[in-house]
Amino acid sequence: MPRTILNNVFRLFFISFLISCERDDICLETTAGSPNLIILLLDSENNDTRKIPTGFLIRAIGSDNVLTNNLNDSIVLPLNTKEKISQFEFIINFENENKNIDTLQINYKRIDKYINRACGYRSNFILEQSPITLLNPGDDWIKGFIILKDTISDETTAHLGILH
Amino acid sequence: MKQLRIWVFYISLLSLTYVRAQEQDTLLDEFSKPVIDSLNIKKKTPLSIRFGLDLYRLALNQLNDNYKGFEALADLQITKKLFLALELGNEKKTKQSEQVNLTSNGSYYKLGFDYNMYDNWEGMNNQVYLGLRFAASSHKQILNSYTILNRTPFWPGEEIPINTGYAIGERNDLNAYWLEIVTGFKVQLLNNLYLGLSLRLNRLISDKIPENFDNVFIPGFNKKTDENKFGAGFNYTLSYTLPFSFKKK
Repeated sequence: MPRTILNNVFRLFFISFLISCERDDICLETTAGSPNLIILLLDSENNDTRKIPTGFLIRAIGSDNVLTNNLNDSIVLPLNTKEKISQFEFIINFENENKNIDTLQINYKRIDKYINRACGYRSNFILEQSPITLLNPGDDWIKGFIILKDTISDETTAHLGILH
Repeated sequence: MKQLRIWVFYISLLSLTYVRAQEQDTLLDEFSKPVIDSLNIKKKTPLSIRFGLDLYRLALNQLNDNYKGFEALADLQITKKLFLALELGNEKKTKQSEQVNLTSNGSYYKLGFDYNMYDNWEGMNNQVYLGLRFAASSHKQILNSYTILNRTPFWPGEEIPINTGYAIGERNDLNAYWLEIVTGFKVQLLNNLYLGLSLRLNRLISDKIPENFDNVFIPGFNKKTDENKFGAGFNYTLSYTLPFSFKKK
């Protein structure tokens, strides 16, 4: 009798050893990564109206990657998790002689939040008191900005509005 | 003539029963002697206290630069089959767990019982046992570095682990409590010297979660997984018995 109990116990152990093997060490695709900054392009005369400038383009400074999906009135910008700033060139009329480049620096604090063992940490950001620095003042097409939500922890709502 | 035969029959019957009775007596004598002897031997069977070390953890110190630790154990025989068992240990382990690099350092104890299911021959003390432990750890965890989860890397150098900042550093005063179901054996190598192996299935009861982090490695418990509260472990022990007997005579 004790032999059979023992056999079953060993079997139980063997199976549980198999089951407990590293199953959850994969970070699920559904787990959200670090959020991007969402910017709305708004009419400087009516802050509630979205306005798309003509010939609009954004280039990142310090990265060779091309920003995509930014032809909307709502812009998705990745923030640099290595720095406290990220710099972008906001260009209008990039195909003709009225081309105007405004170089913007976005200032923020980074707060890293633990997700789980497999995924590690996710960066959340808090916009500084003055979230945008214009690096090349003069002949600005950007008239101003408004903070819509200073904590960047998800991508469900816009965080910053740019008036033009 | 007839009467004689009847007498012979009766006498032989009586003598037969007498012989039987005598045989039974001698049998009883022979039975009772060894029974007394074996009882005496059993009284001499020492209650034993056994001390040991986990060889696996000792070896790991040599093989793995990122591990320092030991486990000492003791068991005390209470009855023929039941042993009071104790393990004490200290572990310091640095590991890269997916995106996170950490060092866990702390002590633990495990207290419980072993029930021996092996029928030993006279004079042998081998064990095939089932056991239960209550275990507790007191530890700290240091986050050395981590890589931020970034689904679409855009900026250069973002995949380099971060080792400064407010998330980095030591989390003190952590603890964990768990139960272990143990199965294993101890085999007598030499007189009083035993080699043992045990497998342990752990069930976490509670643990103090470090701030903005998790208990990734709990000393004594091993790896804590995200989705279930079970863990597993084992040890490979060498132990020495100090026999002592309570002489009542």
